[in-house]
Amino acid sequence: MIADGTTQSAPEGVLVTTTSASTQSAPVHEPRPPGPPPSGEFPESPAPPRPRRLPSPIRPGAFGAEDATILVGAAVSALCLVWIVFYQLTSLSGGLGFLICWYLAFLGLTWLGTAQVIERQVATDRVVAVVVVSAAALVIGIIIFIVAWVTYKAVPTIHWAALFTKDQKSFQLAESNALDHVGILHAVIGTFEQVLLAVAIGVPFAVATAIYLNEVRGFGSRTVRTVVTAMSGTPSVVAGVFIYSMLILTHVISYSGFAASLALVVILLPSVTRVVEEVLRVVPSGLREASQALGAPEWRTVWSVVLPTARSGVVTAVLLGIARIVGETAPLLFTAVGSQVLNLNPLSGDQGALPLVIWSDVRQPNAVLIDLAFQAAFVLMAFVLILFVLARIFSRPKGKGGKGRARPEEDDLMARFFVPIPIEESESR
Amino acid sequence: MTTTLPTAPTGPGHPQPFTGTRTLGEPGQIDAEGVCAWFGGRLVLETVNLTMEQSKVTALIGPSGCGKSTFLRILNRMHEVVPGAQLAGSVKLDGVDIYGPGQRAMETRRHIGMVFQKPNPFPAMTIAENVLAGLKFSRSTPGDKDDLVQEALTKAGLWNEVKDRLGELGGALSGGQQQRLCIARSLAVRPRVLLMDEPCSALDPTSTLRIEQTIKEIADEVTVVIVTHNMQQAQRVSDYCAFFLAAENQPGRVIEAGRTEMIFGEPTDQRTFDYVNGQFG
Amino acid sequence: MAIDLDLAPRRPQAPAPTPITVTRDYSTPDKVFRWGVQASGLGVFLLLVAIGSFLAWSGWPAFKVAGWGFFTHSGPVLVGSHANFGVLASLTGTVEVAFVAMVFGAPVAICTALFLSEYAPLRSRRSLIAMIDLAAAIPSIIFGLWAFFELQPNVVGLSTWMSRHLAFIPFFKVTSPPLNASIFIAGLVVGIMIVPIVASICREVFSLAPAGEREAALALGASRWQMIRTVVLPFGRGGMIGAVMLGLGRALEETIAVTIILAGSYKVTGQILQHGGSTISQLIAINFNQSGGALGVHDLLLCGFVLFLLTLVINLAASAIVNRSRSGAGVDL
Ligand SMILES: Nc1ncnc2c1ncn2[C@@H]1O[C@H](COP(=O)(O)OP(=O)(O)OP(=O)(O)O)[C@@H](O)[C@H]1O
Ligand SMILES: [Mg+2]
Repeated sequence: MIADGTTQSAPEGVLVTTTSASTQSAPVHEPRPPGPPPSGEFPESPAPPRPRRLPSPIRPGAFGAEDATILVGAAVSALCLVWIVFYQLTSLSGGLGFLICWYLAFLGLTWLGTAQVIERQVATDRVVAVVVVSAAALVIGIIIFIVAWVTYKAVPTIHWAALFTKDQKSFQLAESNALDHVGILHAVIGTFEQVLLAVAIGVPFAVATAIYLNEVRGFGSRTVRTVVTAMSGTPSVVAGVFIYSMLILTHVISYSGFAASLALVVILLPSVTRVVEEVLRVVPSGLREASQALGAPEWRTVWSVVLPTARSGVVTAVLLGIARIVGETAPLLFTAVGSQVLNLNPLSGDQGALPLVIWSDVRQPNAVLIDLAFQAAFVLMAFVLILFVLARIFSRPKGKGGKGRARPEEDDLMARFFVPIPIEESESR
Repeated sequence: MTTTLPTAPTGPGHPQPFTGTRTLGEPGQIDAEGVCAWFGGRLVLETVNLTMEQSKVTALIGPSGCGKSTFLRILNRMHEVVPGAQLAGSVKLDGVDIYGPGQRAMETRRHIGMVFQKPNPFPAMTIAENVLAGLKFSRSTPGDKDDLVQEALTKAGLWNEVKDRLGELGGALSGGQQQRLCIARSLAVRPRVLLMDEPCSALDPTSTLRIEQTIKEIADEVTVVIVTHNMQQAQRVSDYCAFFLAAENQPGRVIEAGRTEMIFGEPTDQRTFDYVNGQFG
Repeated sequence: MAIDLDLAPRRPQAPAPTPITVTRDYSTPDKVFRWGVQASGLGVFLLLVAIGSFLAWSGWPAFKVAGWGFFTHSGPVLVGSHANFGVLASLTGTVEVAFVAMVFGAPVAICTALFLSEYAPLRSRRSLIAMIDLAAAIPSIIFGLWAFFELQPNVVGLSTWMSRHLAFIPFFKVTSPPLNASIFIAGLVVGIMIVPIVASICREVFSLAPAGEREAALALGASRWQMIRTVVLPFGRGGMIGAVMLGLGRALEETIAVTIILAGSYKVTGQILQHGGSTISQLIAINFNQSGGALGVHDLLLCGFVLFLLTLVINLAASAIVNRSRSGAGVDL
């Protein structure tokens, strides 16, 4: 878009200058007086500009009042129809069943109505549009519902002072069986240590692998790329069982937070690798060549040119990586096991974690523990949401200053992290 | 023509479009009045008034970026497909405003067909299926499919080359053949106007000549509007000509319009003269 | 045309130049650097090999005892003096849960992808995409919690209705109520959880459908849906298949959400509406703490190996399909 003032934009009723109106309205087949005018006798440049009012722009829409009427009519009549059939004739119960029947009736009536009033082609198009929009609305509605529901269940019962300062030790004492005596400190500390260790181990490993795949492209990088793709689909429960069988069963290490972080590394590694590789791929190759032309060795090029350019992408990858592993439950079952009391040492002994608190407390026949489980779920979810938003902020190009920066499509980065989208074979540079 | 004309689908209460004297399949006349166009709030085309005569070939010429394609796409409601695109003014097909209330874009596009710069047959369909694609959309059933395929391909000048391979995929043809297949596909729905946006710019001289020939042959059955950068081509195929121009950072306008001989022989505007004589700078 | 471009006078005595090969000579720090990143690449490779081989190795004792009966029996089976374990019920349960998940999740996901790529207004498209991605980031234990407290009570009514009116379909027959904690409900939750995965990939593939063909269809008078059906869906078919397979891989492995919902049972059942069932990952998760009882640790590790192989094969095949369709090659199935 052109930014300078000479461009005419057209909000309603803006005055615009125009060249001679007579040339514009020339009818195509207007007869002309015979005899060619010599080229010197052309009328001199256009007549002086005259201010004139442009009509306001429209966007012709396919959806008018008539169409809205059909939709509303179909919705209402479907409601009546289903009410009669659902309650009077088949004596059914349950809101979900009613909703489904109403929806199907609505679709059918929309089709019939549109086909009657307009035509069949439009009717099919309309019904598909309704289906597509409602599917998306369903998905987005469920997400909003889950977030709101967890908040609603957790927040009213939270004792903020206790939540982050106490563990569940005192719960075993019957007289202090209340929410102001128990908290999730042990779980927060446990999760913090496990995730920190996993990031400390996993991220350098992942960045090095991404550099190997994209910068060095050494022997076997094709195979490794396939392996990374395959590993990103590794079941999280398998990651836990694997660490268990390799390290705990063989008595190399015991059940501990550290064992949990190793299992988390197995999950973290492929995801961070693929995102960092994606980020490295869009670093302009001109930068690398410029650095090499200055005689910089390869490691310097990567360290001082490529990685700084890709820094915000790497930060995004790390943030998303944390969001990804912080809620993993299955791998912790076989490694950190979970604990009711605070264990500061990640290297030995059972350790609590946020997902494990939810997992174990929600199945207890005790209202206080169930409330605590919801509070843990709320804290976990809030943490994931914050990480997600931070990651989006980091991956967004920063205005004009971000122009030279290398960033893949922000949406693609996000998607690639949680979704095992295979990494494309990158074209040769 | 031996085949029955596919007719526009009508339902009870369906607004009858284009109630002029002619029916689907006969050439129509387009009157554009006060057409303006915007992309994302930026005015790119200002107050174009132009009549495209029935059964005649009208060429739109002008330098790049002056809004020819935009204008052409407004004529069959393809402009509104672009997100953020807006327009104003009216376009009348035989006196009926295609932007009037109750008019549907799908219906309009069946009456006013379009051929694009880049050949775009449906690659997953066979040649015959490609020709019949438009009819499938409107659910109209031609009397005899084979006849219709043959007729459309013959009019597009492609029949002799593909008559033995109608079952092959549309993508298996050469670029020039693909473009003629696209013309055949547009003709098969019997439009009253055919819009062509630089149909030959991706083609070799021989294919270009074949398509020009096709345009001349179909002109008495369908009104043709063609955008071209090739002055010789405009002179060869068109009866009328309109010269578009956009000054720097200004929206495009029609500078001059008239019979082709006039535009090229004795233009009234200095800029037209410069452009058609290649002195544009 | 044969134009001799070699017009420059050439001295006949000039010796023909010999091509030299430029070999890159890496300095010591560069060698260390290259060696380091190669080692980490190799490490990733070895990690995958290690996962497979350790699980196989520690599952082997169980397989030696159970033999191929491992795949044909269900639950602990008393053979002579010791109990053998069979995975059949969990294997069929896994497939059933995944099947239900795909039946519900895949169409919703594909519709969501179509919405994002074809219907959503341009201005809100980015934030809608972010919402869907966010769904992929929500931990599965929270999905499980929600499903247990909110989804299940509502679905039981639907299950009742289906068991009453659709019982002629064998899957929907119910012989022993209650209808909660069923494979059907577990499948529904997993179906919701795979939506973001399938939708993300499909959206990407759909948005790559060629603009020229889209416009061609519209210009011929196609409605939006007809355009999608003639251009977008055929073009995106390969990607859709791959995406659904990736979703399937995810559905097969889902652990915690399924474990929260599904009541364990070692019976092979086709009656997905009624209480009880088992999947491999659920079996591992709920039996692990009690290991040492009827189910040995090695049995569970063998189950883990089976699950690992299953998802590995499906994910690799799916990735190959998605990559091919992204390069425009299409798939023939
Ligand atoms: N999709 C779009 N979004 C924004 N602006 C557009 C879009 N398409 C065209 N424009 C702008 O509208 C103006 C007219 O474009 P148009 O394509 O009509 O020109 P044209 O005369 O067909 O040029 P050419 O001969 O090169 O095809 C140009 O300034 C162009 O930048
Ligand atoms: Mg153009």
